[in-house]
Amino acid sequence: MTTSTLDGCGETLGRLAKGDVSAFEDIVKEHQSMVFSIAYHFLHDRSLADEAAQDVFLRLYQNLASIVSPQHLVFWLRKVACQRALDMARKLPKTPPVSLQDIREPTAEPPDRDPLLSEGLRRLVASLPKDARAVIILRYQEELELAEIAQILDVPLNTVKSRLERALGVLREKLSRWTGGVAR
Amino acid sequence: MNPWEESLREALRRKDVPPGFTNRVLARIRELPVREKRPWFRFRAFIARPALRWAAAVLCLAIAGSVAYREQQQRQRQQGELARMQVKQALHIASVKLNAARKMVREVNRGTAQSRL
Repeated sequence: MTTSTLDGCGETLGRLAKGDVSAFEDIVKEHQSMVFSIAYHFLHDRSLADEAAQDVFLRLYQNLASIVSPQHLVFWLRKVACQRALDMARKLPKTPPVSLQDIREPTAEPPDRDPLLSEGLRRLVASLPKDARAVIILRYQEELELAEIAQILDVPLNTVKSRLERALGVLREKLSRWTGGVAR
Repeated sequence: MNPWEESLREALRRKDVPPGFTNRVLARIRELPVREKRPWFRFRAFIARPALRWAAAVLCLAIAGSVAYREQQQRQRQQGELARMQVKQALHIASVKLNAARKMVREVNRGTAQSRL
């Protein structure tokens, strides 16, 4: 997140503290993509991710008084989004269902992107164990450092490192099997 | 990042929310106020303020410090009292002994005087 964005967010928090309710709408608009994407990549289901993201913002509204800074807000949202997605994932059957609208149209993609590969990777990520999935999403969607991921997931740094290595290993192996299958 | 990680990053890039997401969140929030207006929730929001938490922590430390100081003072006072009693008792014993010795000396002196007469 850039400094200017954080400044804007700080201003929004200030407005909210002064009782400006419309400021909350601005906060939702600013962070909804991040929260929704964490939930979506976790659950691989748009309607469930929509519900999870709504729950996160509802909890934010109820806990606004505890938010002290824009950085804290982003940290809090990532943490609660992961927790909520984990909770919902626990209640799901082992193989998450994938709806047709989740698959992007190849023509809408720039030429250097491979929509089939991206979709395959998203499915593979969604099939990872929940703990490893959280690390992969925070690392490659949110582009966080390992120490930040450890803070958000409340686990030791070495655990994050080992989960990441293991998850990348599993992804590589599954992907090579998948592409091999396609080639055959 | 290597090309493999790049493709992972590309696959996991942020997605747009479904249409009407903000309105759905705000609609669910509008259902909350009745609950939020209850005194307990207002009180909870009030005590959840960081400044108030710090003030409470400082107050707790001050109270704990004051209690510890008072207890230490009381202990010292009790020790002083005990020492005073012990000194008093020692003085009493010494006075009893001195009186007995003086009495004996007086009797000895009286005996000597009678024998001279």
